[in-house]
Amino acid sequence: MGYSDEGKDRRITQLRKGILELAVMGALYDERHYGYSLVRVLSESGSISLKEGTVYPILARLDRDGLVRSEWVESDQGPPRKYYALTSSGQQLFDSLSQELDILVSLVQQKWKVPGRSADAGKKLAVRKG
Amino acid sequence: MNNYPEAAAKIASDYLERVKLQLRLVPANEQDEFLREIESHLYEAYQRTPGDDDVVRILTVLRNFGEPAEVVSDRLPGAMVRSGTQGNLPLYAIGGILIALFGLPLGSAGVGILAGLLGALAGILVAYYAVAGSFLLVGAATMLLGLTRIVFPQLYDRLVMLGYIQMNGPVGEFLDHFPAFYQGLFLVLLASAFAAAGLGMLWLGKYMLRGLRFLFSLTFDWMRRFAQGIRRKLRRDNREAPRMSRVSFVKQ
Repeated sequence: MGYSDEGKDRRITQLRKGILELAVMGALYDERHYGYSLVRVLSESGSISLKEGTVYPILARLDRDGLVRSEWVESDQGPPRKYYALTSSGQQLFDSLSQELDILVSLVQQKWKVPGRSADAGKKLAVRKG
Repeated sequence: MNNYPEAAAKIASDYLERVKLQLRLVPANEQDEFLREIESHLYEAYQRTPGDDDVVRILTVLRNFGEPAEVVSDRLPGAMVRSGTQGNLPLYAIGGILIALFGLPLGSAGVGILAGLLGALAGILVAYYAVAGSFLLVGAATMLLGLTRIVFPQLYDRLVMLGYIQMNGPVGEFLDHFPAFYQGLFLVLLASAFAAAGLGMLWLGKYMLRGLRFLFSLTFDWMRRFAQGIRRKLRRDNREAPRMSRVSFVKQ
């Protein structure tokens, strides 16, 4: 029996949530953004479709941890916008987290880069059972 | 609100009210700033959403934005951490213990005990404010006495003779050693101490009140999730029921 769609969706959401924080930090690394522009950048640069409001809890968390700084800027097109940019400690953290992500990604990709690996594991299990 | 058409403005305003309701535990200045930020986002998203129907446009914007609870999810713990101080850490510990004890569905007994505990905490809070109020009342009365003793010493003596003021015991004996002015001064100082204690208790009570509100909202949130879990399970059972009957039919 296949795994349920509900469970699969939940796991995909969890995976995206973890990555999204890093993506937000990446977007704020070199240039500042306000909430709406951040959502646009994230939606356009990747294939992630996200609820726009989900960036605000992330920004709040980063702000609380001193990883971003913010300032209000008047806008000609409407209400003032709150711009965010990564602080130097945020940039340092992003550098180390993205390195960590690279390691994790290569770890996950090893599954199909080493074809005999899963077969070996199956044999060991069979021996133990036998 | 900005330059929305009337219908869209009403819908956006209603949404922001819902966000505000979710932010009730967050300090007012932080609430205002966050609401301004959301308002700015919604307005820009609305301007950039194509369409002729204003209502459809704003509803599309709000649907893309997400539910208020999701949007504020990380504001609440942050606010609790910022507002506090060491004093809030025990509240977190109490919250953790309550979740550990009653977070799982333990049945009506668990819920009953939880309701009792929350009731007791609310009682303690009421008693605390009653004591703070008493301190302020005693402070005000003592201040009045002290000022009367300084400004109208004859009136004070007359009130003592008539029995309206009775200063007995060690305090009375102690005051008898001093002239009227110093007696008044002592009473004013005593009144200030009472008033300071009362005001201090009121100030600390603000944190207690916030902590209790946090615990209550935590409990209601848990109850809501529990009910949602049951509803979800019932829906799942209903979906699976026809499949089960088909299987039994095939077996027969």
